[in-house]
Amino acid sequence: MRTIKNIVMFIGIVCFVFGCKNVLDLKPLDKLDSKTLFSSPEGIKVYMANLYSQLPIEDFAFGRNGFNSANINTIGIAPATQTDEAANSEYSHLVDGGGNYPWWDQGYKLIRDVNLLIETIPTLNLNEKDKSEIAGEAAFIRAYTYFALVKRYGGVPLITNTQKYNGEVESLKVPRSTEKEIWDFVLDECDLAAENLPETRTTDKRRATKWGAYALKSRAALHAASIAKYWSKAPLSGTAVTQKLVGIDAAEADSYYQECIKASEAIMNSGQFSLYKPSPATVAEAIENYRALFENPNAAPEEAIFVKGFTNPGSSGHSTDFWFNPNQTSDGSPHPGRMNPTLALVDLYESYSNPGVSAPVVTTNDGNVNDYNGFDKNKSYKTFNTPYDIFKDKDARLWATAILPGTEWKGKTIIIQGGYIQPDGTAKIETDESIVVNGIKYYTYGAAEWPQYSGFAVQAGNMTRTGFSFKKFLSKNAVPPNLGASTNDWMDFRYAEILLNYAEAVIESNYTADNAQLKAADAINVIRRRAGHKQNIPLSLTNVLRERRVELAFENKRYWDLVRRRDYHVLFNNTVRKALVPLLDLRENPVKYIFVRRNLSREAPLTFPVNFYYVSIPGIGANGLVQNPQY
Amino acid sequence: MKIRKIYLAVMIITTVLLASCELDNYDGPNAELSGSIIDIGTKELVQQDIIRGTTLKIIEHGYDPVSPQYLRATNNGTYADKMLFANTYTIQPDQRNFVQIPEQVIKITGKTVLDFLVVPYIRVKDLSIVKNGTKVKATFKLQQNVPNNVTKIGLYASSEPIVGEPIRTVATELDVNTVVDENQVFVLEIDLAANSSLLKPGKPYFFRVGALINLPEAKFNYAAAVKLDI
Repeated sequence: MRTIKNIVMFIGIVCFVFGCKNVLDLKPLDKLDSKTLFSSPEGIKVYMANLYSQLPIEDFAFGRNGFNSANINTIGIAPATQTDEAANSEYSHLVDGGGNYPWWDQGYKLIRDVNLLIETIPTLNLNEKDKSEIAGEAAFIRAYTYFALVKRYGGVPLITNTQKYNGEVESLKVPRSTEKEIWDFVLDECDLAAENLPETRTTDKRRATKWGAYALKSRAALHAASIAKYWSKAPLSGTAVTQKLVGIDAAEADSYYQECIKASEAIMNSGQFSLYKPSPATVAEAIENYRALFENPNAAPEEAIFVKGFTNPGSSGHSTDFWFNPNQTSDGSPHPGRMNPTLALVDLYESYSNPGVSAPVVTTNDGNVNDYNGFDKNKSYKTFNTPYDIFKDKDARLWATAILPGTEWKGKTIIIQGGYIQPDGTAKIETDESIVVNGIKYYTYGAAEWPQYSGFAVQAGNMTRTGFSFKKFLSKNAVPPNLGASTNDWMDFRYAEILLNYAEAVIESNYTADNAQLKAADAINVIRRRAGHKQNIPLSLTNVLRERRVELAFENKRYWDLVRRRDYHVLFNNTVRKALVPLLDLRENPVKYIFVRRNLSREAPLTFPVNFYYVSIPGIGANGLVQNPQY
Repeated sequence: MKIRKIYLAVMIITTVLLASCELDNYDGPNAELSGSIIDIGTKELVQQDIIRGTTLKIIEHGYDPVSPQYLRATNNGTYADKMLFANTYTIQPDQRNFVQIPEQVIKITGKTVLDFLVVPYIRVKDLSIVKNGTKVKATFKLQQNVPNNVTKIGLYASSEPIVGEPIRTVATELDVNTVVDENQVFVLEIDLAANSSLLKPGKPYFFRVGALINLPEAKFNYAAAVKLDI
């Protein structure tokens, strides 16, 4: 018996050992080599999809943990909360060492992947038209990637082929190009892309088109022009500056502005784009139109130029609804209420009765809007019957971007109240108390239990501390309380941004050819009319910049606007952001609401050091690159 | 018996192994460098910021490549690094509020003292800071030693003696953006009443006047802070 077992075992071992042929030469069954992949159109499509997934799009899923980080616990710190647009309900947090997010290794990985594709195009089994489309798409991706690098690091090593290692490490080291050379490369790649890409797509509509390439060029050229123009607001020094690895000569500004104007005009003159629902009959309609545009950009093909899709909850969704619903409509999410629009942003929106200037929220009868010392019982406050009457006349986009105190959202009245003034004049602010006046019980936070209100309490860090909650991009429907559960798409480029880029470039460079001044004034006014404004305002830099901030709020533009215009270090220098605190005034009968403009509670003063305008270059010990200033 | 033998063997092996290790085979830092940044004209210390202020770049010889080390000056214009290795170093100010001076190569051993005689970009002169009713008023003149514009001046207040442009709870700033005349009198005021939630009545606060020159990466020049009860 034993012998038989041994024999069987022996035969088994012999079979195993000699049954294998060339073990090390076997090809894995779950992977394709490049030859097979590129041999079919489907393979190229798969490769292209991978490139798009790596594209540094600053969408819903972008933040301090990087790109495509929807499933990471960000504690709700979004790019907007690192600017003056909003505060996080719990954390004062500005920037992690500049750059919004350091992005180097992944950038060069993507560049290598796209260079590999570009080198393969001549050998592809496709007709010439398809080949040139692929070439255009590759140029778009490469431009997008270098744009993401140059705006963070300044001039970077320009690598346009797949490097081969021949045993000589030194041959792989490429020194940094100047910042200008990289911007010029980005713009040239955009031109190449625009030349080769189709105007429209019938299938795969989210892939880049000619207009996507022009939109990218419009954004990039404006960025480069602003750096040239405003470099001197925060000049740096050192080797990187003398070698022009960071910074652009002021003399170059106008030519970049003109590149932006031309690229924007190409889109404006294409006849393919317009604003979504450009002439609402009422303000209420304007509010709903603007809100709906972001809830589903696919319903607005006339405005959306380049869209990133979010499809599968959990794997390719994002977490906007998870983090940013007000506390009362969290649908079970444990940490909602994280995005708190600031008073500075709310102030900015125009009023319908006094167009052309921002309309700060006036809370006192003396009209002083610069007093942030908190409630003072000797002051005479304006009284209101509701917590939202004070915003009545303001721009529709405020109502569609933020949830204002006492307004409806998802079938609930969102209660945001910071306290009350007792009949004897004692103020109870940001403390959990209640009082009975004339037989009615009043609560400091507007309701008895914390699930019933959304503001000011410290409860779990889920309450707004600015007095405003967030609305833009949120779904009106219930979303499961999981990370990555939101699936509305992201408009990376939309027509309104192109109009605003155009207007800014025209006014900044004082460009007058082709009636540009008139067209630029019209550009900001069509956007305003879509928001329910009837009166036009003149073209001025203040008007253009205000319009840009309110129209593109929370679209992750503000960070880079502050960087490129070198406004960050001025705006954030020991800066405490501001809140508007609604209080119930029990001295009045019937009770009224009053409002206090105040420094944000639990806020550390925030500062943006000037070296953050460029990110530190990683790995200079090994790659031998020149470091950016002050690192 | 057997267990005891094994135990003994382990003990002996462990003792031998551990005894052969030294905690570290390098000696610790054995030298110190300290000194002052002194105004060559007035012989006074050049006042600094404690954060985002003046830095000194020191490069240790004998290594290639070598990362420079950056020492930070303290508020009053002195600096010290007590954890250096005795060696030869190249030293030069980096970020600064005075005209650049050449590199120096010095040998640091024991307690080495190295003072820098410099020309500050701006001198704050004839300073008076007084409390006047509900206002704190600073009066001063500026003497600039480089031809560039003065970008801005400021009066900064904080509860900490290290007050300055980066460390302040309240500031009054004025954009100047011109070359200033030596005899021009500047007046800056902080309104205590309007900042009552930040500067609490009855408490002492530090007030300091600063001025910034328009040069890349220039740091503020200051007069010494003044303590006032408000």
